[in-house]
Amino acid sequence: MKSVTVKMICRFLIVSVMMLSFNAANAGMIGADQVAASGAQSERAAVLSVLGRSEVASQMQALGLDPKSAKDRVAAMSDSEVVALNGQLGSVPAGADGGALLLLVVVGLLVWWFFWKR
Amino acid sequence: MMLPQTVALRDSWPAGLPQKTELTQVPFFPQKDYQCGPAALATSLANFKVKVTSDELIDQVYLPARQGSLQVEMLAAPRRYGMVSYQLAPRLEDLLREVAAGVPVVVLQNYGVGPFSKWHYAVIVGFDYQRGEVILRSGETERLTLAFPVLEYTWKASNYWAMVTLPPDRIAVTADESRWLEAVLAMERIGDALASKTAYASFLKRWPDNVTASVGMANRFHASGELNEAEHLLRRTTRRHPDSVPALNNLAQTLSDLGRHDEAMAVIDRAAALGGPFAASVAQTREAILQRRKQ
Repeated sequence: MKSVTVKMICRFLIVSVMMLSFNAANAGMIGADQVAASGAQSERAAVLSVLGRSEVASQMQALGLDPKSAKDRVAAMSDSEVVALNGQLGSVPAGADGGALLLLVVVGLLVWWFFWKR
Repeated sequence: MMLPQTVALRDSWPAGLPQKTELTQVPFFPQKDYQCGPAALATSLANFKVKVTSDELIDQVYLPARQGSLQVEMLAAPRRYGMVSYQLAPRLEDLLREVAAGVPVVVLQNYGVGPFSKWHYAVIVGFDYQRGEVILRSGETERLTLAFPVLEYTWKASNYWAMVTLPPDRIAVTADESRWLEAVLAMERIGDALASKTAYASFLKRWPDNVTASVGMANRFHASGELNEAEHLLRRTTRRHPDSVPALNNLAQTLSDLGRHDEAMAVIDRAAALGGPFAASVAQTREAILQRRKQ
C-alpha cells in the first residue's frame, strides 16, 4: 500500500519537475528541446539536471567562483553536460599551460621511435 | 600501436583533402599564466568576428581552484555569444577537414609525461603533409609547428578531444546530424532568438527532414509572430511525419492563434488519437482551443 502511494507521488513529482524545467517560451507549443528529450536517456538527463544545476553551481563556488558567475556558467551548459560534470569538477582535466621542456623530451623519444621502428 | 592515427595518415592521406593549408587570418591572443583556455576560445571566436577579449573569457571558463579551464565550459561559453560549439569526432582526419574548410580547431593536449599531467588548449590553424606537421596558435607562440606524431602523442591523452565554434549560419563540414542538433539546442537554451533561428534555418538546409529541427524552426516563427510561416512549415512537417505529435500539437496551436479554431480542433484531435508521451500537453492545447471556440 505504502510503496504504491510512494511510487505514485514519485511519478507525479517527476512529471511536475519535468514540466517546470522545460522552457515553455511559447504557450501551448511543445518545445524542440522536449521533442529531443523524449528518449529514455535524455529524459533522465532532463530530470537529473534540475537538481544537478544547483549542485554543480555549488561545486563551482567551492572552487572559487562567486554565486552569480557559477549560476551563469551552469546556465550555459546543456542538461547532459550538467549531469556528466556533477561531482567531477575536481577530477576532469583543466587546461592551463603548455610545456616546452617536456616537449623536447617527447620529440626526442618520437624521433628515435620513428627512426628505429619504421 | 603508439600513434595509430598518424600512421594511418602517413599510409593514406584522406581523399579530397588538400596537402597544405594555413589559416593565416586567424588572430592571435597570447595567453597569460593558466589562461590557455580563454586564449584559445578568444582565438576561435574572434576568427569569426565575435567581439571578445581573452580577459572577458577568463570570467567564463577559468576555474580558480583548478587553475585552468574545463572542457565542458569551453563548449558552453561560446553559446553566450550566439555561436554554435561542437565537439569533433576523435579523428585527426576530421580535424584536418575542418581546418581545410577554414575553421580553426581547439584541441586539448597533455604535455605531461608518465604520471604527470600538464593539460593545455591550443588552436590548430594549418597543416602541411609534405613536412608532416600541423601549425598552431599555442601559449605565447603565434606560429608553433608540431610534427604529426608529436601532435598525436599530446592529443591522444584527452581521447582526441577537439572542438570548433561556428556562427549559426554555418555548419561544421564533419558535423553529425544528431550531434549538431544537440549543439543547436544547447545554444538555443541561452542564445539569442535570432541566432537560434539562423541555426535552425541552416540545419534544415542541410537536413530538411529533421522533425525536431522543423519544430524548433516553427517555434521560432511562432515566437516572433510569423504565424503563417509557422503554419506552412508545420504543415510540411506533418505531411512528411504524420505521426509526429509535437508537430501536430504545434500546428493546432498555430491555427488557433490564427483564429482558425475549427481547423485547429481537427488537427489536435489527430494528435490526441496518437497518445504518446506528449498526451498531457496535447490535452491542454485541446482544452485551450475548445475555450476559444466557445467565445
